[in-house]
Amino acid sequence: MPPPNTPVAHTPRSLSVDFTESLPFHNITVPPPNTPSSALDSPHHNRQYRSRAPQVVEEAVETDSSEIDESQHIDYRALTYADTVNENLICPICKVAFVDPVDTECEHTFCKECIAHALEHNDVCPFDRNPLPQPATLTRSHKIVINQLDSLLVECSSCRAHVPRSMLRNHLDRYCKEALVDCPDKGCLQQVRRKLVDQGCLHNNIACPDCEGIHQEVAMSKHREESCEERQRQCDHCGTNILRCKQTQHEEECVELIVPCIWVQYGCEHQCKRGELNLHKLECNFRLMGPMADILRKEIQTLQSDVRYLTDKEQLQERRIKFLEGGQRESHRHSNYEEWSSQALTPLADSAQVEPLSESTNEYLLNLLGDQERRISQLSSALTELEGKQTMMLFNETVPIKNQIAELQSNQQMTSMHIRWFMNWRKEDQLRLQQQQRRFGGGGGCAGGSGGASESEVDGGGSSSELATPRRSPDSLTRGLVTKL
Amino acid sequence: MAAKRITREYAEISESPPSGINVSLDNDNVHKWNVVMAGPEGSPYAGGTFHLSLTLPPEYPFKAPVLSFKTRIYHPNVTNDEKGSMCIGILKSESWKPSSKILAVLLAVQDLLREPVPDDALEAQIADKFKNDRPGFERDAKDAVKRWAK
Ligand SMILES: [Zn+2]
Ligand SMILES: [Zn+2]
Ligand SMILES: [Zn+2]
Ligand SMILES: [Zn+2]
Ligand SMILES: [Zn+2]
Ligand SMILES: [Zn+2]
Ligand SMILES: [Zn+2]
Repeated sequence: MPPPNTPVAHTPRSLSVDFTESLPFHNITVPPPNTPSSALDSPHHNRQYRSRAPQVVEEAVETDSSEIDESQHIDYRALTYADTVNENLICPICKVAFVDPVDTECEHTFCKECIAHALEHNDVCPFDRNPLPQPATLTRSHKIVINQLDSLLVECSSCRAHVPRSMLRNHLDRYCKEALVDCPDKGCLQQVRRKLVDQGCLHNNIACPDCEGIHQEVAMSKHREESCEERQRQCDHCGTNILRCKQTQHEEECVELIVPCIWVQYGCEHQCKRGELNLHKLECNFRLMGPMADILRKEIQTLQSDVRYLTDKEQLQERRIKFLEGGQRESHRHSNYEEWSSQALTPLADSAQVEPLSESTNEYLLNLLGDQERRISQLSSALTELEGKQTMMLFNETVPIKNQIAELQSNQQMTSMHIRWFMNWRKEDQLRLQQQQRRFGGGGGCAGGSGGASESEVDGGGSSSELATPRRSPDSLTRGLVTKL
Repeated sequence: MAAKRITREYAEISESPPSGINVSLDNDNVHKWNVVMAGPEGSPYAGGTFHLSLTLPPEYPFKAPVLSFKTRIYHPNVTNDEKGSMCIGILKSESWKPSSKILAVLLAVQDLLREPVPDDALEAQIADKFKNDRPGFERDAKDAVKRWAK
């Protein structure tokens, strides 16, 4: 029967509730006339109790005979306690540490089950024969008693480990390496010790390498060690009987086996039986140097591993610093990309804090690579964006200039046209003037002719100078226009 | 529960037996013990070896064990016949307590050999002799030891 606070499926809950409520613990066969109706209302209470007493006996027989039952059922009266239990915690009836203790009205404590049995035989306190009223009022013992009982160390019947009594159930259900659990192969239906669960189903039959007998794989090592007919053989060196399956193990310690001196790696070439090695040790040339070399070697090894550890650590830190620095620079340079650079930085900053040094370098490098890739893609997209912006800006600036140039060109064409027209107009004007003068000279006769010739010479000279000035002026006009423009 | 408690008590007694008392199981039956008790020094039974049979009922410890002398004994509290029935206070059903141990019962028997209780006698004649003719009682007891308990 389990102790009060062990979560066992077959502990009837209603019983413990009865106790906490101090409900009468009535006689099994005939409830007294004044039994409270609440007790009579629950017929299962009675039934449970009647069926409980014989049940305990059955369970006890089972645990004694079958091994399989040990993982399911705990017989709290068959436990082995690590230390002698304080006699105040011993039940006067079953003579072991209380299991589910209750107190009588005369303030004596018994196991709930024990006092129930005792009251079946006699209506008196089993300790002092004080008459107990029927039905007897039993109250759950004080918490301090239960705590003491819960903390008693008991031996696990499977693995021999010592665990607090209240933890035994938990130990067997979850942790005990020797406890029997269902075979990992769902279809197998057999049980196997928890320590072998990882090896899969071991219930297939295999032949013993020594006697060729067929046994289950799970039982083979036991067979080879304990029951195999061929399990023993004589050691070739010392002649003692050894287990075949333990041969390599024996060779590690056989005293007759020829072995090299323990300082063989430093140069001693001596070889002798292991048993005589102790004698050689006293006279070995390497007996002084050997231990020293050993110490030095160990020291060098620890130093090497220290150095390796430190370099690894340093590399890791360097990589982190570089990354952090890079992130900082980026965020300064592109203030508008601050958002993403801080995003890229945060996971690293976090991982730098959280990541234990033991984390593999590979994983760290992979993380780093991922971050870098992300940043590169972000950078390239930013770059294309920038390029687009620049082209737009260039385009916007050049278009007005082009327009202006076109306007200027058309202006110039216009002025040159005007000038041409003006010059043509002047030429025609001059020609008209000359024609008028010639008409005057023809009316005067020859005098006019001779005078006209001298005059035309003068006029010609005068007109040529007159013509030269306007011929030059359009040039200066265009020049002024250009400068104006 | 009975078997477990009896086994425990048996282990306790056989591991550190009280002086002059030896126990063994009858045919590996934990409910039937063979007890060998030496007559206590200073009593008329000194030098005698008494075989007793201790029967533990299935209801033990809720019912008292039953104890009888297999070796015939001349004692006011033991029937002077082959049955060797005896009656001691601790075993009476009206005074038996489930908390009492077998060891206590055996020590009570030893006490009874040292100090008979004539007021609670089974053999009235022997009780009378014990009360009125102590030297005669002791002589008869010693004779009985020589005859039956050697
Ligand atoms: Zn009491
Ligand atoms: Zn108990
Ligand atoms: Zn265990
Ligand atoms: Zn299996
Ligand atoms: Zn074999
Ligand atoms: Zn050997
Ligand atoms: Zn050497």
